[in-house]
Amino acid sequence: MLKQRATSLTLQVLFAVLALPMVVWAGGGAGFIDAGKFALLIQMGVGIGIIILAWIIKDKMGIPLPKIIQAPIIWVAAYIVFRFVLQPPIPFSLLAIYMAVVTIACFLYVSLSQPSWEEFTSPIKFMLQEDSGKAKMSRYFTFAAIPLLLAYGTYNKMLPKFDEPIELRTVHPAPPASINVHDKVLNLQTAENPFRIDDSGKYLKVGLESVYHGKNPFAADAPKFLQSVRDGGGVFFGTAGCFFCHGDNLDGRGPFAFAFNPIPANFADPGTIAQLQETFVFWRVAKGGPGLSREAFPWASAMPPWEKHLTTNEMWQVILFEYWHTGFFPRTWD
Amino acid sequence: MRSFNDPRKAKIGAGVLLGVIGLLLLLPFIPLQAGAEEAKKEAAAGTEQKVEKAKDVFYKGEGEFGIVSGPPAPTLKYPDDYGTYGTFQSRTILWVANQQHLYFGSFVLAVPMFVFVMELVGMMQKDKTMAKKYDDMAHEMMKISLTAYSITAVLGGILIFTFLALYPGFFGYLSKIFKPIMHVYALLFILESGTLYIYYYGWDRMNDGGFLKWVHLSISFLLNTIGIILMFFANSWIAFMMSPAGVDEKGRFLGDIWKAVHTALWHPLNIHRILGNAAFGGGVVAAYASYRLLAAKTPEEKAYYDWMSYVAMFMGILNLIPLPFAGYWLMREIYGYRQQMGITLMGGLLAWVFIMQAMMIAILFVSTNYYLWQAMGRMPGAERYYRFFKYMLLVLIVSTIAWLTPHTLVMTPAELKAMGGAQHPVVGNYGVMSAKNTAINIMISTTVLCFCIYQRCNKVPTVKWAAMGNAFLGALFTGAAINIVFLGIYGYFIPANVRIGLSVPQVCTTLTCLFVGVTVNTMMLKNARQLGEVRWGQMSPRGAYALFLLAVSFTWTMAVMGYLRSSVRLHWHVNEVLRDNSPWAFTNPLGYAGNINSMNVLLFWTMLLFVFWLGALSAKKAHVTAEETAGVGKATIPAGSH
Repeated sequence: MLKQRATSLTLQVLFAVLALPMVVWAGGGAGFIDAGKFALLIQMGVGIGIIILAWIIKDKMGIPLPKIIQAPIIWVAAYIVFRFVLQPPIPFSLLAIYMAVVTIACFLYVSLSQPSWEEFTSPIKFMLQEDSGKAKMSRYFTFAAIPLLLAYGTYNKMLPKFDEPIELRTVHPAPPASINVHDKVLNLQTAENPFRIDDSGKYLKVGLESVYHGKNPFAADAPKFLQSVRDGGGVFFGTAGCFFCHGDNLDGRGPFAFAFNPIPANFADPGTIAQLQETFVFWRVAKGGPGLSREAFPWASAMPPWEKHLTTNEMWQVILFEYWHTGFFPRTWD
Repeated sequence: MRSFNDPRKAKIGAGVLLGVIGLLLLLPFIPLQAGAEEAKKEAAAGTEQKVEKAKDVFYKGEGEFGIVSGPPAPTLKYPDDYGTYGTFQSRTILWVANQQHLYFGSFVLAVPMFVFVMELVGMMQKDKTMAKKYDDMAHEMMKISLTAYSITAVLGGILIFTFLALYPGFFGYLSKIFKPIMHVYALLFILESGTLYIYYYGWDRMNDGGFLKWVHLSISFLLNTIGIILMFFANSWIAFMMSPAGVDEKGRFLGDIWKAVHTALWHPLNIHRILGNAAFGGGVVAAYASYRLLAAKTPEEKAYYDWMSYVAMFMGILNLIPLPFAGYWLMREIYGYRQQMGITLMGGLLAWVFIMQAMMIAILFVSTNYYLWQAMGRMPGAERYYRFFKYMLLVLIVSTIAWLTPHTLVMTPAELKAMGGAQHPVVGNYGVMSAKNTAINIMISTTVLCFCIYQRCNKVPTVKWAAMGNAFLGALFTGAAINIVFLGIYGYFIPANVRIGLSVPQVCTTLTCLFVGVTVNTMMLKNARQLGEVRWGQMSPRGAYALFLLAVSFTWTMAVMGYLRSSVRLHWHVNEVLRDNSPWAFTNPLGYAGNINSMNVLLFWTMLLFVFWLGALSAKKAHVTAEETAGVGKATIPAGSH
């Protein structure tokens, strides 16, 4: 009876874990939810599933799980989620941070209250203090395992590796206060995109351009803003050919993208142009990789200095197009 | 001293003393007034003979131009304008000297703040036993502060000598601008010393429970005021180095000292440091009490120090909660002053140092909650709430993971390729402000919830509206969590400038939890049925260690943020005015900075443990008698401590 109930409950949990992302996936299709969000939902589902499973085993099925077993299970489950479920794989540095937090969390969990701490430490005390055969065996095993583990760790540490060195690349280096483009000084703190104008020709405050999102820039009666977007698109796909690297979806996956290391910036990511002022983007477009500031070590950027090929207006227009296409708004400091 | 035996004379004497200290507080206005007079004279003279005027680097509009009153900033040369000690990095030597002085300076500023509140709370107590306990605690901490005060002065001397020996060119330039302020600073230091000694040594004599006690408390208030003014002066120098004003672009002083003091970042730094100091003070006193708790031999001592550590922790956390908001304001002003500075800090070169800071802040909140969970172990009836701890821990850990996820990842090129770009499609979402704001607000709200549970864990509400109150509290915290998370997610779909604005409703939600939640909870517990007395002294050692962790995290956070604030000037001594031309004008690698910060923390705690030990050495008398201890549990636990 108990077994049947357990099987039924387990199936229900698995169904619940899988159903949510599946329903979202099937209902909205790829246009509604991208791969990243889908992976996030799967991850959340697995996390919730593990918690429900533990609750069923412990509280519903009445199978006791001593704290000394619970802690490693939590640790291993978290490792599986962060290492394998979470895709694409995260860098080792981030995995190390996450697992350090989980390790601390496990310790806090077993020592939340005095009864819990005593439950956790009693097998350790038994192993260290008792004279029974069982205690002795586990003692020998533990004291043999610890140096072996340390030796293994040392061996791994000393083993020659041929990986490329870790890089802490500054993705958003601070721009200079002003730049000189086509013999004109541009103050990056105060400059504005001259094409960011509304129908009456007045400067359009950031955020208000949302009225133009989703509208057709090729329409015969397209307003000035959309005309500039269209011209910017012309630069992106034509004059400059930005799409070869940045992709025709502006997601950094153009046909040339993977010839570079690192691959070009993904404008569709909320962590790139959506975080930056238009003047920052202008600086990067105009000066490219060679114009990166000192702090941007190791200056790993294949971006050409477009001021040598485009006019100032063309550069402002292509920036307008990039924000319009991605649906993001530039940052402002007011 | 004889006059103290005559109550009337004693009162008059104390009143006069208070007046004199109050009058001496006008000292800081002398240089400002003198500066203004000088400017007037020069302006008048300017009508007769031509004076050179120049444009202020910061102040615009009216007062944009000032009379050139100083030499231009020197072009420093190495080794002529820099000193060295062998092959040691001069910058690191100065860094250590500066950090140690700052630690002790903060300590002697923070402890009197704590002592003032404790003395006041003690005076407000109706229960004489509790009043004495608060008074004794305040007195004991003042004694600790006295030892630390002399160390601060010594470290201040070392700092000045280090500046003179290693950075004479830079220090000469700064002292030419701030010379009047520097002298007033020294005079105020003397005033503070005098006030401190009168305050400490007059404690017992002025403890008459009436007028003299109020005068004594007023002296404490003046002591704190002097301390804060001293800090403001020191802040003005570092604020000038970051965001200079009152000088032209050549660095020539324009005659108005107030402008050089009142720079763009002065007030944000002042507010941030006041709150930071108060939190630090609570943390260090809590660590002291924990140290004494772990070393205590008698149940009475254990009970006393357990109670003391709780009160100090409470004070520390009370100031910690608004600290992130003061930090946001400071960052906003930095962005407003120079965009590059803001980007270098938050998204550029120094972004990873913020991850270190985030780690420390997460430790602060997690260890506070952990302490409260452990503290509930000594509260009969708390067993009812044990089952909720793990869920609160889960919420805190999930928030911590989001809080710690960096925007700029450290990775090998192979990992970068495998990820398909600099940003991860899933965890990349946690690297931005929307996620960070959500995480920290959830962590603070969870801490408030934990405190509410702590308040009620040995009580059963008896008010008629208890069921309604519980439902309200449940709805309040659930609604707050939903609102914070919703606003966080909504932030991904709106412009960055509007998104920053969302932090305001998120913070308001958290503050509503804090004020409304705690108030309703406290009202519900009026005349509540007690399930048992608090067993003071029965705190688990883990709880005491958690408070140590809390205090060490405070100090490490101070070190790392101080390093960050200083490094953001990059290769400038005074931003865009006086260039650092020494061989150390580069930004340190993270590992080196981490090591020096850790060494600074270790050095400070070693010295502080010595101060604690000195405090314990002379404290031979029992703090509370057995009867008084018995009264602790029975006495209504003071509002501030429970």
